[in-house]
Amino acid sequence: MELTTIARRNNPFRKLGGKIFRSKYLIMMIVPAVIFYALFCYVPMYGILMAFQDYIPRFGVFGSPWIGFDNFATVFKEPRFWLAFRNTIFISSIKIVISFLGAVTIALLLNELRMRRAKKTIQTIVTFPHFLSWVVVSGFVFSLFSYNGAINSLAEIMGGSRSNFLGDKYFFFGMIFASDIWKEAGWGSIIYLATMAGIPQDQYEAADIDGATRLQKIWHITLPGIKPVAILLLIMSVGGVLSAGFDQVLNLGNNDLIREDVNIIDTYIYYHAITKSGNEGIGTAIGLFKSVISFTLVIIVDRIAKACGERGII
Amino acid sequence: MKKQQLERLPLRARRSNRDTRIQSLDIIIVAILIVYAFLIIFPFWNAFVISISTEHAYLHSNLLLWPTEIDFSAYQRVFNNNQLWSGFGITMILLIGGTIYQLFFTVITGYALSRKNWTGKNLVMNMILVTMFFGGGMVPYYCLIRDLGMMNTIWVMIIPGAIDTFNMLLMRNYFASLPAEMEESAKIDGANDIIIFVKVFLPLSLPMLATVGLFFAVGNWNSWYNAMLFIPDNKKIWPLQMVLKTMITKVSSTIETGTVTEDFSEGLTMASIFFTIVPMMCFYPFLQRFFVKGIVVGAIKG
Repeated sequence: MELTTIARRNNPFRKLGGKIFRSKYLIMMIVPAVIFYALFCYVPMYGILMAFQDYIPRFGVFGSPWIGFDNFATVFKEPRFWLAFRNTIFISSIKIVISFLGAVTIALLLNELRMRRAKKTIQTIVTFPHFLSWVVVSGFVFSLFSYNGAINSLAEIMGGSRSNFLGDKYFFFGMIFASDIWKEAGWGSIIYLATMAGIPQDQYEAADIDGATRLQKIWHITLPGIKPVAILLLIMSVGGVLSAGFDQVLNLGNNDLIREDVNIIDTYIYYHAITKSGNEGIGTAIGLFKSVISFTLVIIVDRIAKACGERGII
Repeated sequence: MKKQQLERLPLRARRSNRDTRIQSLDIIIVAILIVYAFLIIFPFWNAFVISISTEHAYLHSNLLLWPTEIDFSAYQRVFNNNQLWSGFGITMILLIGGTIYQLFFTVITGYALSRKNWTGKNLVMNMILVTMFFGGGMVPYYCLIRDLGMMNTIWVMIIPGAIDTFNMLLMRNYFASLPAEMEESAKIDGANDIIIFVKVFLPLSLPMLATVGLFFAVGNWNSWYNAMLFIPDNKKIWPLQMVLKTMITKVSSTIETGTVTEDFSEGLTMASIFFTIVPMMCFYPFLQRFFVKGIVVGAIKG
């Protein structure tokens, strides 16, 4: 009798059953999440198979004919794809640098500002644009730079002439960077500002005793203090180097004069594989190409950061 | 960063210098920040002035820094515009229904993942983390939505947003940071996990719920991406931002050539922009601290 009870108690399946039963409510809470991620994240991953098919919606992923790497070959032969690829790398690498510099500069300025009230007001003003959609921001940009807009009027007053900024693809890139700084730099500064607030005060006090100037304190205490956070954020942004900002480019580049010249990878997929049907396989192939490169980059950068003694993300 | 360090982080920076003399550096800093704040405000001001100007003033004054011929007819046209009101209605549905829906699923998932080792927890956690680094891409997702029959329905703007991984992990970390003894003592008193969650943990996490809920609310207010991709044909259920987007695109294709349409669509567009951002401008100064808290806690812990 006793022996069977012990045996039953030690039965691994019973143990597992008991454990599941004890946490049945937690498991109930997680079921929606499992369904959600399976459906909206893993089914599309399975859909990647379309990249190797001549996808026909009527037949679905099960019935469409397999064509190996033909979709990739088609894409890589397309000059407009490589234009989009170059645009993407160009836009996002410059954006990573300027948004980092912008955010750190603003954080330093706000941190050194000694008027509490003014600091709070300025912070409210400069973080607000983050909460606007790119639709609204593009409305602002178009009205400022349109033929009759404020910038052209200013140019005329200064003795220049009005020009058509919005139809100029070189101007477009400047507009992308400027609007990105306008919208996100203030918001990006918050995290650095919070990190600066966490730097122990005794370091500054010791520097005061040694007679350090404010600039010296910024250089030797504040900047090294935010270095770990800065590296972490830079690592994270490298993973997104092939996503140059779909919302932004789509809204700002949405006119017939420049649309095809300023494509990034995401807008290329949108214009060529979503608004046009029949290109599902090609669109998926580009998406897969993008995911694989991004994923590899994240791994590489993470390894480099860890090798340099910084905290990684994975 | 460790937990203790995080709790010592004040959200406002302390004064880093005890020297109270005003130096030339202070003046430079103030000057730069004022110019910067001006550059942030100017587009709002410019749009506002255009929205309350007549077409004549817009075309013939040099730099419209101050409204010369005030005319509120653009706002009148906004309030008489059925498409904008319909968009506003849809956006309100997303704002209320969508936010509650997202908050519910994100929070229960975060809670379940914050509790100690239940069977299968690590499996689910890894399954979720993988999706942060790898995904199917835009086209398979589009095909999925199409095959689910959600194209051109309002559901496509709500259902696929159930869980936001970043905010879910934010909630999870927050629940995990609360003392586990509370759970143990409630268990001894005979409470089950759902009662513990609702009666013990939720009341303690109201500030965090507000933060996450506000991020969802802003996202829903600004929602246009799903409508553009999945609701191209059904204008009746376009949210406000999507209506605005089509107006802006229409205007930008006329203004690049310098011609202006008969009914001064530039003024109407700017008035519509104000229609969409004024609610946020009113609430933002009071809610700013919640947003700031979310980003700071999320970035340092996550």
